[in-house]
Amino acid sequence: MAGAVSRRVRQAWTIARIELRRVFFAKRGLWVHVLALLPALVFVGHAVDVKSDRARLGRGGLTDSALLSTAQPGETLESVKERLGKPAAERASAGTRRVRQRTGNSGTTTHVIEPAVEARFVRLTVTRPTYSGDRVARIYEFEVYGADGRQNLALGRPATGSRPCAPDQGPEKAVNGSLAGGKTDRWCAEGWSAFLQVDLGAARPVKRFVVRHASAGGEDEDLDTRDFNIQVSADGKRFATVATSSGAALVQERTEYRLLTYFDGRRVARFQFVDNTLDSRNVDTLVNFTEDRAVFAGIFQYFYLRLAVFFGCLGMFMYLFSGEMTNRTLHYWFLAPARREVLLAGKYAAGLLASSVIFGGGALLAFAAMVWPQDAVEVEAYWSSGGLSDAFWYAAAAALGCLGYGSVFLALGVWLRKPILPAAVLLVWEGVNGILPHALQKLSVLYYLQSICPVPAPMDDDVPTLIRLLAAPAAPASRPGAILGLLVLTAVVLWFAGRAVRRMEISYGAEG
Amino acid sequence: MTPGERVGGAGGAKPPGVILDEVSKFYGDVLGVNRVTLNIPPGITSLVGPNGSGKTTLMNLMTGLIHPDHGSILMRGISPRSPEALMRITGYATQYDTAPRWATGFTFITTGLLLFGYERAEAEERAWKALERLSLTEAATRKVAAYSKGMRQRVRLAQAIAHDPELLVLDEPLNGLDPLVRAETIALFRALANEGRHVIISSHVLQEVDLISDQVVLIANGMVVAEGTIRTVREEIHEHPSQYLVRCGNASDLASRLFSEDHISEIKLHDDRMGLLVMTRDREQFARALGRIALDGHRIDGVVPADENVDALYEYLIGGE
Repeated sequence: MAGAVSRRVRQAWTIARIELRRVFFAKRGLWVHVLALLPALVFVGHAVDVKSDRARLGRGGLTDSALLSTAQPGETLESVKERLGKPAAERASAGTRRVRQRTGNSGTTTHVIEPAVEARFVRLTVTRPTYSGDRVARIYEFEVYGADGRQNLALGRPATGSRPCAPDQGPEKAVNGSLAGGKTDRWCAEGWSAFLQVDLGAARPVKRFVVRHASAGGEDEDLDTRDFNIQVSADGKRFATVATSSGAALVQERTEYRLLTYFDGRRVARFQFVDNTLDSRNVDTLVNFTEDRAVFAGIFQYFYLRLAVFFGCLGMFMYLFSGEMTNRTLHYWFLAPARREVLLAGKYAAGLLASSVIFGGGALLAFAAMVWPQDAVEVEAYWSSGGLSDAFWYAAAAALGCLGYGSVFLALGVWLRKPILPAAVLLVWEGVNGILPHALQKLSVLYYLQSICPVPAPMDDDVPTLIRLLAAPAAPASRPGAILGLLVLTAVVLWFAGRAVRRMEISYGAEG
Repeated sequence: MTPGERVGGAGGAKPPGVILDEVSKFYGDVLGVNRVTLNIPPGITSLVGPNGSGKTTLMNLMTGLIHPDHGSILMRGISPRSPEALMRITGYATQYDTAPRWATGFTFITTGLLLFGYERAEAEERAWKALERLSLTEAATRKVAAYSKGMRQRVRLAQAIAHDPELLVLDEPLNGLDPLVRAETIALFRALANEGRHVIISSHVLQEVDLISDQVVLIANGMVVAEGTIRTVREEIHEHPSQYLVRCGNASDLASRLFSEDHISEIKLHDDRMGLLVMTRDREQFARALGRIALDGHRIDGVVPADENVDALYEYLIGGE
């Protein structure tokens, strides 16, 4: 009896050895390796980035760490540089923007005519209404003064002009002597080349014009009239231009930005200067070990266990039976002098070994890559306070994931040929696990894996409740309990698979 | 059990035969084989029938690749449900023309032998011997996938005999072999049979196997049509032209069912009231009708072609489908 058992174990091991090479090195299985190494690649990339930053900043010279936090906003560039010395990195840039030159009369222009002219009709023609590109001309007041310069000859005189924007904003509003009444206290006309004409009643000597534009009435400066001219006429037919205003020009306004970076070997201080004055500062460590560990925990639980291990096991274990059925090679195994259960055990052992090495190794590599660029002192402290145990349990969680998912996909491969639909169903099942009744939760692999992970996956407070439930199903509190549960689940699944494989028949389609 | 030890071995008592008792297999509602009862002694036995007649199904049943819906099978005293014991004494060369992509002729056979528990050195030695017996040593280190069809046929044969089995089941083993190799292969079968082994081969060409077989089993539409030595089968065929003897449970019921078929010209109740003598103008239609009736649940124990002349049967077997 004992001899038979040990012979079957040896036989299963022989089967496993034959299968191992295939599950490990199949070209078709290359993507499994890629999945397993993806997190490691991400963290190696991060590490290389950090290391090259450190080297680059170190070359620029180190600064005494006590000085890093002394610079205060408002300080000038010269004083900061004098105290902290040459920065590790310095970057300057300048920004320009087009602004209107300040004229100082806030929307009011005065036009003196020398010598004075005789005029009964005066006309204001707007050729470019605004600085902003808006097409509406806005004139709050158009004043005409004679030789004495006191009396506004246009005040209350009959005024005509281009069609107003609204009935309450007609030409008369430009000669009513007031500009405090808001938008209804102005003349407004749409379209370029709008004109406003005032009849002074009789020909009089005119010496000065005053035009009050949009900003004089409280509107934005950019809406002030840009280009216009003033004409006079004795008879209302023939006009002569007496004043032209092409408004104020737009100029480039230049702002200088300068970013100084100081480095003390651990922390990086970034000072942002605007026009040589310290505007903002930021002092932080070059790498943040705590944050990186949280990121690792997130990637491990949300990507690695849920997707990489899941689909990796799907690829490796489904093939063991259904793939060989598709390839028409399964009968070679069935014609071997071995119990079907021994065959199942051998194939499962091969898949489990390969997947555990690939995914456990992938987890360890990623973990090592995450630790690699961290500050040596912090790493030292981490190792002496449970760091090695964290690493071990990450690898163990990945391997136990292979154990559980492997048994499920092996069993599915015995029953079914096409993996897509059952895999999708299973993925959803594992996904919605957190909102199922407690008894059903125990029928999912993820349920057990959650509590084997050494660090809980990060979860922001503002995540909606439903997603929170989906992402973090309740899990058994103790690690031994979780491992035991997973082993029991796996054993049950394998027992069903054993029954099924004993009844399995070769059917490749057309039989002779 | 140590590697190489034989179950139901050649020493001592005469080894029991290959016994099929009322074996039926259905694929859904398609009939595979129907109530096949056979007792095959050692020696070369040929299963002959047209393509699709159920030869492969029968061989898969014998080797446990599929399981019967009814009836039982014993291979030299071992059930095909125990591959651990049966496959130790059995070699089966299937018609499935596949080999693992990684395999060379040599590694293919060696790997198979490792599963028998042989140490690697012995497995390699046996693999080499088997390849030698089928003149494949030159191609041993090439990938099986790159072999010609005849070579793949032979490498499967080599695999089937590599562990020195008592019982060989070979599905169309002469298919695709050139005449010289065919003669060598037949000589190999003869040598194995002379050692007291079972060599069960299938063919859809009677002439191909009638000279080398100790027994012939003729199969059509999943039923055994005739069995015995080639001489008795021929004589049996000669005596009663154009008539079948149908053994069944309820003879009168079956007679009324058959009478509605228009290719039936005469039906006589057999003397012992357990069968019918049926005259038909169309063998094919008759066989199909019987298949339908069997599927409907009628018990049909056996059909003996009591009347076929050799030419007609030859035409049937050779021209088949």
